[in-house]
Amino acid sequence: MNSGTPSSSAAGAGSADSIAPRRNSKRPKYSRFTQQELPACKPILTPKWVIGTFLLVSVIFIPIGVVSLFASRDVVEIVDRYETECIPETLRNDKVGFIQSDRSKTCQRTLRVPKNMKQPIYVYYQLDNFYQNHRRYVKSRSDQQLRNNGSLQDTGPCKPEDNTAGGPIVPCGLIAWSLFNDTYGFTRNNQQLDVNKKGISWKSDREHKFGKNVFPRNFQSGTLKGGATLNPNVSLSEQEDLIVWMRTAALPTFRKLYGKIEVDLQRDDLINVTLENNYNTYSFSGKKKLVLSTTSWLGGKNDFVGIAYLTVGGLCFFLALVFLLIYLIKPRQLGDPSYLSWNRNPSGH
Amino acid sequence: MKRYVYINDDNLAKDIYCDNRISNRKYTILNFLPKNLWEQFSRFMNQYFLLIACLQLWSLITPVNPASTWGPLILIFAVSSSKEAWDDYNRYLLDKKANEKEIWIVRQGIRKLIQAQDICIGNIVWLRENDEVPCDLLLLGTADPQGFCYVETAALDGETDLKTRSIPSACMGIDVDLLHKIKGVIECPSPNKDIRRFDANMRLFPPFLDNDIFPLTIKNTLLQSCYLRNTEWACGVAVYTGNQTKLGMCRGIAEPKLTAVDAMIDKLTGAVFVFQIVVVIVLGIAGNVFKDKQGRKLWYVQYPKEGPWYELLVIPLRFELLCSIMIPISIKVSLDLAKSLYAKFIDWDVEMVDPETGIRSNAANQAISEDLGQVEYILTDKTGTLTENKMIFKRCCISGRFYGNESGDALTDAQLLNAASTGSADVILFLKVMAICNTVIPVRSKSGTISYKALSQDEEALVCASARLRMVLENKNGNILDINFNASPMQYEVLDTLEFTSDRKRMSVVVRECQSGELFILSKGADETILPLTYSGQQVRTFAEAVEQYAQMGLRTLCLAWRKLEEDEYQEWTSMFKEANSTLVDRERRVAEVCQRLERDFEILGVAAIEDRLQEGVPETIEILRKAGINFWMLTGDKMSTAIQIALSCNFVSPEPKGQILIIDGKTEDEVCRSLDRVLLTTRITESESKQDVAFVVDGWALEIALKHYRKPFTELAILSRTAICCRVTPSQKAQLVELLKLCDYRTLAIGDGGNDVRMIQQADIGVGISGREGLQAARAADYSIGKFRFLKRLILVHGRYSYNRTAFLSQYSFYKSFLICFIQIFFSFISGVSGTSLFNTVSLMAYNVFYTSVPVLFSVLDKDLSERTVMQHPQILFDCQSGRLLNPSTFAGWFGRSLFHAIVVFVITIHSYAFEKSVMEEVAMVAVSGCIWLQAFVVALETNSFTIFQHLAIWGNLVGFYAINWIVSSIPTSGMYTIMFRLCEQPSYWITMILIVATGMCPVLALKYLRYTYRPSRINLLQQSERLGGPILSSGIIEPKSRSSLDKDIPTDSVYEPLLSESPSATRRSAGPTQRLDSVQSQSPPHSTHTRKDN
Repeated sequence: MNSGTPSSSAAGAGSADSIAPRRNSKRPKYSRFTQQELPACKPILTPKWVIGTFLLVSVIFIPIGVVSLFASRDVVEIVDRYETECIPETLRNDKVGFIQSDRSKTCQRTLRVPKNMKQPIYVYYQLDNFYQNHRRYVKSRSDQQLRNNGSLQDTGPCKPEDNTAGGPIVPCGLIAWSLFNDTYGFTRNNQQLDVNKKGISWKSDREHKFGKNVFPRNFQSGTLKGGATLNPNVSLSEQEDLIVWMRTAALPTFRKLYGKIEVDLQRDDLINVTLENNYNTYSFSGKKKLVLSTTSWLGGKNDFVGIAYLTVGGLCFFLALVFLLIYLIKPRQLGDPSYLSWNRNPSGH
Repeated sequence: MKRYVYINDDNLAKDIYCDNRISNRKYTILNFLPKNLWEQFSRFMNQYFLLIACLQLWSLITPVNPASTWGPLILIFAVSSSKEAWDDYNRYLLDKKANEKEIWIVRQGIRKLIQAQDICIGNIVWLRENDEVPCDLLLLGTADPQGFCYVETAALDGETDLKTRSIPSACMGIDVDLLHKIKGVIECPSPNKDIRRFDANMRLFPPFLDNDIFPLTIKNTLLQSCYLRNTEWACGVAVYTGNQTKLGMCRGIAEPKLTAVDAMIDKLTGAVFVFQIVVVIVLGIAGNVFKDKQGRKLWYVQYPKEGPWYELLVIPLRFELLCSIMIPISIKVSLDLAKSLYAKFIDWDVEMVDPETGIRSNAANQAISEDLGQVEYILTDKTGTLTENKMIFKRCCISGRFYGNESGDALTDAQLLNAASTGSADVILFLKVMAICNTVIPVRSKSGTISYKALSQDEEALVCASARLRMVLENKNGNILDINFNASPMQYEVLDTLEFTSDRKRMSVVVRECQSGELFILSKGADETILPLTYSGQQVRTFAEAVEQYAQMGLRTLCLAWRKLEEDEYQEWTSMFKEANSTLVDRERRVAEVCQRLERDFEILGVAAIEDRLQEGVPETIEILRKAGINFWMLTGDKMSTAIQIALSCNFVSPEPKGQILIIDGKTEDEVCRSLDRVLLTTRITESESKQDVAFVVDGWALEIALKHYRKPFTELAILSRTAICCRVTPSQKAQLVELLKLCDYRTLAIGDGGNDVRMIQQADIGVGISGREGLQAARAADYSIGKFRFLKRLILVHGRYSYNRTAFLSQYSFYKSFLICFIQIFFSFISGVSGTSLFNTVSLMAYNVFYTSVPVLFSVLDKDLSERTVMQHPQILFDCQSGRLLNPSTFAGWFGRSLFHAIVVFVITIHSYAFEKSVMEEVAMVAVSGCIWLQAFVVALETNSFTIFQHLAIWGNLVGFYAINWIVSSIPTSGMYTIMFRLCEQPSYWITMILIVATGMCPVLALKYLRYTYRPSRINLLQQSERLGGPILSSGIIEPKSRSSLDKDIPTDSVYEPLLSESPSATRRSAGPTQRLDSVQSQSPPHSTHTRKDN
């Protein structure tokens, strides 16, 4: 009966084994991901890199800025503000009354070409203080209806310009209803300057957003007349003024393409514009401008980008210089452990 | 409330009590949807999003398609409810498996096989070896003639040793066949969760026995989910079934813990909400004013003359919807994902696997990893946590003779061996007590070696030691013990066991020597409970000195005592004992009273000293964590001198010239009060010098008084002192101390390994359990379980710190990107007639939050600002996390400022470079969105400290993804964005604008960051620099005791140059401890009179 003496170590090992529960018994899988030991690149902001970066930015930005500025300066732009001038002086204290009356609103303007302008010359009308992005306005359209002949009744979001007694309005909604209706005619030396109004809208809009078989119906036939009327025999996809207008602008100041003049204009040419000043911007004191402009690879005349590039580039250059100076005057060893607060002698300072 | 169980009565019980169907399910199929939705919507954020989503259904005010909110909302809800549903389904499957398991029971006197769920109260259940117990049973019979059986209770309490269970004496000797017909009534308490107690009575009906009432204890039960082991069969009567079993009652849903970071995010969210409301009100008023002054003149808008009554509300509500993106809907999902990955990293960590046992670290609570990085106080248990809990008998003192003093090991002490073999009476008696007075079960393996299964490590150590000294406990057969001393067998019958409780702190057995028939009571226990019980003549001074001497070496001591009993004294006592044992109410106290009657007039035999070695790496771990600014409190049940000794040996307190140990003691209120005042005074003075390392020591009794009557000074002391040692404390006192520190707004971490630590672990902000030798109870209750104490430093310094840093970035970044897009919307409203137009379309808005900006930042969970090695070398860096320097209102303001700046950059550049003829709504919107995406990619890149391949993929791949998605959307003719993205990408001005936005947005941020990084570097920056430039990484290695006042002083000076960027450090979450200046104190008497303990 009296066999070997039990040893504490045996008992210890036995119980230790049994303690290890099953779920924990297998070792976790080793991978560099699970151990958070993936090889990593750990950049730090050394003066060399930061000053280099700023220099590089300035070196890149200043030329781009100069080029952009030149591109913008190359664009020739004629802007003529006409909303006040086109009202007879006697009637200027009641502009709204004038615009809503039935008088003739034809108006003559003369523009001088400051520089040679290469064709194509884009004719824009510019509206200021016109909120095409207003919440009530921007949603007031029915893309379904514009696209499909079958969706005539789809006037849900168009209120209040959705239906008349004669049925649904096509195109419905406030945007279409308020279509711009000033017209411009150009003559140079008493010669008609043709304005090409084809292809002023986006191709994709003509082909996919405005249906070939959708025709205006009941348009501007309500009690309240908005802007232009549309020829009910021309399909929407060919009503390019409407298509342009319905690309709503994001800003209250915007230009919309009216047409293209496809001849070159010479410096000091005088251009006579015969315009029909129909559109009411007077009730909200909006401005109307006629713009003739060439274009560059960056678009129209816009100095902002060039100036911004030059500013940022210059600023970066300046910062690089300042950092370099600080670095030279007051060099500081990175990672000096004596700066660590717990290595500092608290009473030493 | 009581419950009466009629054994084997098929008719009675069915209706009254539930059947044995177990259900752990939270939901049923019917109530899943409403209940789950209700739970999700009880969170503020979800309510907010639901409100927004509902408002969006009103087409008059919605700026974009409701899908932009409903989409993500439904997605988020679907994800979390399908997770819940999946978990619940798995629970259902497990339940089903348990419920349909086939069980033998007795019905109408015949054994039948039924499903476990059909067991009723009163049924007799038969189990075979290795069967799982299907419900709580009262044992009636076993295969063992003595009526014993063995169970494994690991599933219940985590203890892996086998426990003996015995049948009630009433059922002893009943034949197997008769067991089918047994009838009777059991009177037991209503279902409760106490797995240690079952205070019940049983009465068997004739013909089995007369009307005698038999007491029942937990020893007579087989509880649900235990396993029957080493016993051929057992049968019992079901007393609790279904979800009313002890296990079922124990199941509870733990209160979810909220981390400091979460609380901060909630607070910031609240602030953002208020800000949003302000913006909405301002814009709403502006919008209504604009409408009346200007809007009515805009004929093309056709404002109606008279609007409906709610007209004034329309514009503010529109802005509310526009601004609703200010609170990012994705933040919760992102954080949840990140948190579960942190937890996984802990689970996966190979460096936190115990090499000895293979136990892995486990994060049971996935949600609180960030808190680990913000721990300020660690409250630790001693035994099994700091020490190995591997008890080894080292020294003893028998009748005044010290053994083992020279060699350090009594078992190799020739004198003791000699005394044992020659049969010195004192020594033999001492060894007998060691071998008999315990509850150890000897298990003989096939090879004939004996191993011991013991609940208490001390007992195992004693029995093993006595075996080495030739007093071998060979067999335990029911009540009969076989002892083999010097090859001569002896037999003892154990008559009664007076069990160990933490109040009594001793245990005794009454035994009868089988040959002579003599009766003894043998007892062992803590010195203060044994030494006062001696007979009047005995000198206990030598024993007290021995105890003191051993304790100073850090050994655990047990006093062994005995007394001879007279037969009639015993008979008289045993009936009282039986009666006390069968009381239903307050049984424990009454039993203790009765035990006291027998435990008197002892003769002290000697003192046994047991060593419990420190775990590997404990001193280094504590030193590193103390350097990291974490304060340590040791809470132990051991005696003061042992505790102090352990504290010194594991760097709790610096050695003498620097460290100082102050003792609070006293038996009465006055004494404690005076002692406390003295200690407080000394602490204040040394604290002001901040050179000294002061620790205070308090024992359980003084602590009780201090907590009850002098809470305020004690709290102040707790705040001032970095270290405390609390000895002789009970589990509830441990929990009280945690509560005290939590009330002072400190982040506490409690670490322990035993059942007595469970309350403290649950109470603390973070509970860490050590899966140790005392079972898994603590590890189960804990949020994190680790195998060894030394893993704590990695858990805190590596996992906690990274988690905090990552979450700080992730959450603030989420707000940054939401603000960015929201500010652009707000700016846009000023040029759109304050009418509440959304610049962005539905697709962009939805994808921006859910996709474009969430993916890159999610990979910041892989970011490491410093390497693990650097952190370990400079644990002081944890300060920045503790004081919340990376996430607080001021850093948040930095991110807010950055988003405002970036919004201005994007907006101004966009509307100027896309002016006039280019000002097409859709194009401008896409330019602005692309600008945001580019900027955020660079922001993430700038804020990333280490780029792994994943980060590169996420950041730059996300840009590619952005364009891919938009090209796809742009090629759908019916979408509003048709052709837009293609047109833009063809224009040189688009790309030039993007470059401009990035440069303008990033250059100032980079410049500021560089200046701060180089000329006002934070500690993290300094370490990054020295780590990556390969410079000298020096650490003076001095533990600088940082007083809180000096820490608070640092903060304002640092925060001056922190306007925009992320790491601004004016965290004053800490409610600065009472830092009344000490001038008044110093004028008083010098602290020489204080109770200063000189430690050797």
